[in-house]
Amino acid sequence: MDIKREDIKHLAELSEFSLSDAEIDSLQGDLQGIIGYISQLDELDTDNVEPTYQVFEMENVWREDEILPQEADREALLALTKETKDNQIKVPKVL
Amino acid sequence: MKYTPTIGIECHVQLCTKTKLFSEVDNDARGKEPNSCVSPVDYAMPGMLPRLNGEAIKFAIRAGRAMNCEINAYSRFDRKHYFYPDSPKGYQISQFYHPIIGAGYVELPSSTKVRIEHAHLEGDAGKLTHFDTYSLVDLNRVDTPLIEIVSMPDIHSSKDVHDYCKELWRLMCYAGVTYGDLYNGNMRFDVNVSVAPEGSSESGTRAEVKNLNSFRSAERAAEYEIKRQTKLLEKGEKVVQETRGWNDATGVTTGQRSKEEAKDYRYMPEPDIPPIHLSSEFIDEESAKLPLMPADYRKLFDGVIKSDILEVLLDYPQLMNSLRELSTREDGFLGDGSLAPVVTGLAPSSSVVTSGSPSKASSLVLLISNLFASVLLAEEKSAEYLNDLPTAAELNELAEMNIKKELSSTATKEVFLRLFDPQMKGRGAKQIAKELGLIQENDLGALEKIVDAVLAKPETQKAQADFKAGEEKVIGFLVGQVMKESKGKANPSAVQDILRKKLA
Repeated sequence: MDIKREDIKHLAELSEFSLSDAEIDSLQGDLQGIIGYISQLDELDTDNVEPTYQVFEMENVWREDEILPQEADREALLALTKETKDNQIKVPKVL
Repeated sequence: MKYTPTIGIECHVQLCTKTKLFSEVDNDARGKEPNSCVSPVDYAMPGMLPRLNGEAIKFAIRAGRAMNCEINAYSRFDRKHYFYPDSPKGYQISQFYHPIIGAGYVELPSSTKVRIEHAHLEGDAGKLTHFDTYSLVDLNRVDTPLIEIVSMPDIHSSKDVHDYCKELWRLMCYAGVTYGDLYNGNMRFDVNVSVAPEGSSESGTRAEVKNLNSFRSAERAAEYEIKRQTKLLEKGEKVVQETRGWNDATGVTTGQRSKEEAKDYRYMPEPDIPPIHLSSEFIDEESAKLPLMPADYRKLFDGVIKSDILEVLLDYPQLMNSLRELSTREDGFLGDGSLAPVVTGLAPSSSVVTSGSPSKASSLVLLISNLFASVLLAEEKSAEYLNDLPTAAELNELAEMNIKKELSSTATKEVFLRLFDPQMKGRGAKQIAKELGLIQENDLGALEKIVDAVLAKPETQKAQADFKAGEEKVIGFLVGQVMKESKGKANPSAVQDILRKKLA
């Protein structure tokens, strides 16, 4: 699979990253390398193999519906954000 | 050319579990401070581990069975990636490939069937509030459990849009899986509308109106879209496939600029949550907890309560349950039959004679349902009136007093309203009727004495003579005089019987 500059731009857009031309070039090379390496797996015939969703073969890991006290309170969590207002996280206008 | 609309609806239902879908945090943020119901899991701190709420699985089973859906023994979660400030994780945990709820159907009151394609569990997003130059993010709603119900495009009118949304709301409320508070966004509807020439085998291009939060706005938005798209096609223009927003004040949908050229959610299996594998015993056990559903009540009260009245009352699950209790009561009140001769006229007398018979139960249910309907329809008291219903025993007592003629129909309604009165609550119908002096005099001996006294009065002599001369309608005047003498407590039909005998 060939990674084009357009693919990098598309992925950057989906993640709201702005990239310089140099960064796009460098990421294009890196990603091409990674995908190329993984692509070796394409040589295997997986037609009748079930996809692996997880490796521990656990199922039905549920918890009780009980409210538990949380270690981090609102102040601790809001302290991690860049800007707050009225106990909310302030972000550039989005619509 | 005539055009036919084809409509499918997606509905998000917030589940009323105690905690969120993936964290042990209070799920009921109503009236709570912003960002006060959040944990590092909701905040998506690095290294956090979502832990699945088992109760949400049980709720999903009940919700699915309420819609006659298959419950899938195997289901699992996937990550749906998108970048937006309402989702700190950068993805929504949803069920894309293997949803918990399979195919089923919802039957509307008109008996139209709308097939359900599937329904799946997922976490809700946070809430954004937009201001001039910035937006504020409240994460209280992050990972509130949702089920998203996806219908097949089986709806072909805006009225059926309304009826489908409402029936879904009822089903979810009866199943007890949501608070059903539409004002607070507990249920949100996305309506997909397309229009095609009648008889055409291909469906038209569809537009989706998102985030409608009432039955009425869903109906109006669909109606608007049908008209808009039909006009475009009539002019030879094309409908653009897009997401549109609804403005409730102007009654218009408008195209929303698409954020991304093509949706690219990059779904991947959620590695943090092992798959769900349900035994048929587990599914059966949970399904058995479903109470009677609207369709069951329609069958139960078919021929007893008029369908237009029943459709009003069906909005109140607690009330339907009370009516069902009434309909199955065994204890009779006319066991000795002593009042039988008096019971004529107003009440369906044939049904009162045999105690505990189905027809007696029917007459109790009919009377009570009519009282509720008159309050709900005529006085528009609606919801707040029905928050705290009188018990079935209280309603039964009232209905029996009416049928025994201890209360006139006006007095019955008066006492009925007082059963909701905080001042009088819990005293019971009989006590309230006594306190208000509304109990009718049914003692034939006592009534006869009052009648005799009235007939002895000089001012009634002329009326008596007129009646004997064949002037039928003066009986009303005489009954009125007796009622006045009894201070309104006499049973008018019994009085009339006595008068007719005396003047014969």
